[in-house]
Amino acid sequence: MKALMSVGALIGVLGLLMLIGMIFGVIPSNTVRLVEGYMPMQVLSELAVFVAGFTGLSYLANSMGVAFPRFWQGVLFWAFIQTYLKFRIYPPIPFSVRAMYGTVSFVAVFMWVSANEEDWKKFRQPILNVLDANTGFHKALRTMYLILLPLLIGGFSFLTMKPSVDEPIELRTVHPAPPASTKVHGKTYTLQTSQNPYRVNLEGKFDQAYSNKLIVEQGMGRLMAPNANPWDDKAEGYLKYVREGGEIFFQNCHFCHGDNLNGRGLHAFAFNPIPANFTDPGTIAQLQETFIFWRVAKGGIGLPNEGFPWASVMPPWEQHLTTDEIWKVILFEYWHTGYYPRTWD
Amino acid sequence: MGSVTRTKLMSIMALGAMIGLLLLPILVAIPALASDGGAPAAGVKKEGGDAKVEKGKDVYYKTEGIVSGPPAPKTTDSEKDYPRYNFESRVLLWFANQQHLYYGSFVLAVPIFCMVIEFMGVVTKDKAMAKRYDQLAYDFIKISLTAYSLTAILGGILIFTFLTLYPAFFQYLSGIFRPVMHIYALMFVAESGTLYIYYYGWDKMKEGFLKWIHLSMSVVLNVIGTILMFLANSWIGFMMSPAGVDEQGRYLGNIWHVIHTALWNPLNLHRILGNMAFGGGVVAAYAAYRFLSAKTDEERAHYDWMGYIAMALGVAFLIPLPFAGYWLMREVYAYRQQMGITLMGGLLAWLFIIQATMIGILFLSTNYYLWQALGRMRGAEKYQRYIKYLVFLLTCGYLVFITPHTIVMTPAELKAMGGQQHPVLGNYGVMSAKNGGINVIITTTVLSFVWYMRGNKVSTVSWSKFGNIFMGCFFFFAYLNIIMLAVYGYYIPANVRVGLSVPQVATTLSCLFFMFALNSVMMKGAKQMGPIEWGKISARSQYALIMLATAFTWMMGLMGYIRSSVRLFWHVNEIMRDNSPWAYTHTVGFAANMISANVLFFWISIMFVFWLGALGAKKAPVEAKAAVPGRAAAPAVGH
Repeated sequence: MKALMSVGALIGVLGLLMLIGMIFGVIPSNTVRLVEGYMPMQVLSELAVFVAGFTGLSYLANSMGVAFPRFWQGVLFWAFIQTYLKFRIYPPIPFSVRAMYGTVSFVAVFMWVSANEEDWKKFRQPILNVLDANTGFHKALRTMYLILLPLLIGGFSFLTMKPSVDEPIELRTVHPAPPASTKVHGKTYTLQTSQNPYRVNLEGKFDQAYSNKLIVEQGMGRLMAPNANPWDDKAEGYLKYVREGGEIFFQNCHFCHGDNLNGRGLHAFAFNPIPANFTDPGTIAQLQETFIFWRVAKGGIGLPNEGFPWASVMPPWEQHLTTDEIWKVILFEYWHTGYYPRTWD
Repeated sequence: MGSVTRTKLMSIMALGAMIGLLLLPILVAIPALASDGGAPAAGVKKEGGDAKVEKGKDVYYKTEGIVSGPPAPKTTDSEKDYPRYNFESRVLLWFANQQHLYYGSFVLAVPIFCMVIEFMGVVTKDKAMAKRYDQLAYDFIKISLTAYSLTAILGGILIFTFLTLYPAFFQYLSGIFRPVMHIYALMFVAESGTLYIYYYGWDKMKEGFLKWIHLSMSVVLNVIGTILMFLANSWIGFMMSPAGVDEQGRYLGNIWHVIHTALWNPLNLHRILGNMAFGGGVVAAYAAYRFLSAKTDEERAHYDWMGYIAMALGVAFLIPLPFAGYWLMREVYAYRQQMGITLMGGLLAWLFIIQATMIGILFLSTNYYLWQALGRMRGAEKYQRYIKYLVFLLTCGYLVFITPHTIVMTPAELKAMGGQQHPVLGNYGVMSAKNGGINVIITTTVLSFVWYMRGNKVSTVSWSKFGNIFMGCFFFFAYLNIIMLAVYGYYIPANVRVGLSVPQVATTLSCLFFMFALNSVMMKGAKQMGPIEWGKISARSQYALIMLATAFTWMMGLMGYIRSSVRLFWHVNEIMRDNSPWAYTHTVGFAANMISANVLFFWISIMFVFWLGALGAKKAPVEAKAAVPGRAAAPAVGH
């Protein structure tokens, strides 16, 4: 047990030193990278390793008779989580989410330190010591809190009330509910039931299972499936339409959406927000093809009221592309990103 | 005729009367149903003495029917259609509706608890335990009795609010649901009669055959209550997903179509489970309140036990609730994709993040309570040092579960983030991760329950070591399976991903049923390390129960608001437009404040109900008994 805990402690110390080094620039911040595609699990795993490490440290300190006070364990662990979220995860997490995480981790620390009576007594003892002020040190501390706390609250109130010149926060609905049907080039499409006319098998029939087999691999590198190269001269049917969609994409869309479809095109950073990143699992992977059809055809100007503040400059492509071209470009987007359009069973 | 026989006869007659009351509305309804609800045959036009029948097509069932009612009124923003005070009528209606629903849910849920607990009392061989269960059931029904009259009063207020502020809409709705509303009223009479006989007959029918008659009455009472709720659900189901009318909203003569709309069944199931979880929460809060204000150890022991039973019952219904909600949402998407996206990905998506937060709080509170409850068992100390790992698992699941897909941020933060989706946290914002998150939370709750169940016991079966290792492995692989499926969900089509929730849920439920069963077998005849010292639990645990109940209440208000506001600017979706000045969706902040106000009012009023319950209580002599190892010290039976 002791050996296991010692390993844990070692990991904990190393992890902490590395994090501190990365914060202060002593160690390059990309020493342990967050790897695209694995980042979500990587973050949770790193936190698990830190917890194991701190447990090991605490165990060793206890064994050596220099137990770290429970109060400071709780406070510092909470501070550690905030530091990790602020400095480890890049790009920076917006304040609203950090506030949510901060609150949850605060509650978690409370649950931990008060899970049983003995721990709870240990945790609150330093607080009671200050309140009781039986020693000179505690008395001084109590006096200091008496002065500092109103100042802190006052300062916080002042900063809250102070008029801000920052732009206000926005709660933008990224994917507003689409209409039941949309009219493009004189034809009405029911969004719930319409299908991409080019998602067909070799017999020319709509076949999503067939097209699903031919999309690129979604993992790292996004490799093409074997014998599924749309730019092969012999490519027919679905793959040929993908190629045609790709040509339309590179003639019209890639300037903003990027040649890797990740929303980082040539003009992308002239806009805020930058154009949609199709490789993100939260965009086209979540939507039906008909939703994309509606958004492409009607553009930012066609967003419903729910899309306030209509922060999209996408042109209404129905004014520039034919219906067939829109369907084909959508076909290409799904093929290239390796995502499947959403379907209802 | 002996007095016992006479009592028996009277009891059977009372039960017969209840069943008669239950059947009465159905008998009354038969002529109405036979004549197509008795609605005026608006589609029958007389031209020169010949009756011409006008037919319409059902908007949902797509069947043809004879037009039997007027079209949905096209209202205007006027005093005629929307009479008003100098205040938002919608908010007044919201308040009246929500309060009625809170009390209605409570008085429908509590009799179900009573039925279960009374049954446990009847079948328990241990007489002392049987008496305690019986007393507990009686305590429960007593609380609901005062709340029952308040429910009726609030129902009256709700109807008056409808009639005075939304007359055109209410006239239309009551025109269509006229027979249903009459049956509803009669059911309410039946419910009242049954409830009073059930309550006041408690002492007269407490033993032998009479007890079974009494128990049967609780079954009848709950059947009536459930039908009542189903009927009320048909109105909201119709408003969300109308059926039985044509495109103009004209009733087509088939009352079953109007009742049995696309969302009626999932709403029914979701509400039954929700009511039960809510009822458990409220009773647990009552017990916590009485525990905290108790003056004696006996009282504390009784209310500690009561709180535990109520919490356990509430949580038993909380666990399947997310799955019932999942079915409801699936049916919403099937009915109108647009409605589904408005709820889950569009305008109301942030309210779902708040809902996820509340669900997380429910599970966190439950776990916290169970860990505190380990403190009243001698011998449970061995589990306490591992609690921090459960906290970690719960927190990770919770953080993933509440991460929003659409993040609230300033334009500067948006720019710094380099796009609308965060490359790390954005992955937590989608369904695949959230399914993983909630299943980790529920599985951890199951683990906490297992620890609690074996807290003061040591298994004596010969295969206990193997059993423990097996259980450990089972939980480990359950977590692994849930997490791996959550990750795998990113790499497969959406419809397959939706299907992945089935093995995830199956894993969680396997943990629940299989581990509980295995644990029970292992703990049969187990060595007791010490007694459960009822009443010797921290005050924090009771605040956790109050938190649990408050979170239930808040979440119920929130989900009711979401369900109602998804109709956007329609009184009846796509049939009758809301042309009042308030046909817009409130801001998230306003809605949250309004829900909080409703919750606050409910808790203040129910505190009054609790106080009334305590006021009428008679102090029974309390016998302080020595605690039996492994069993609760007998709590006070005073009420």
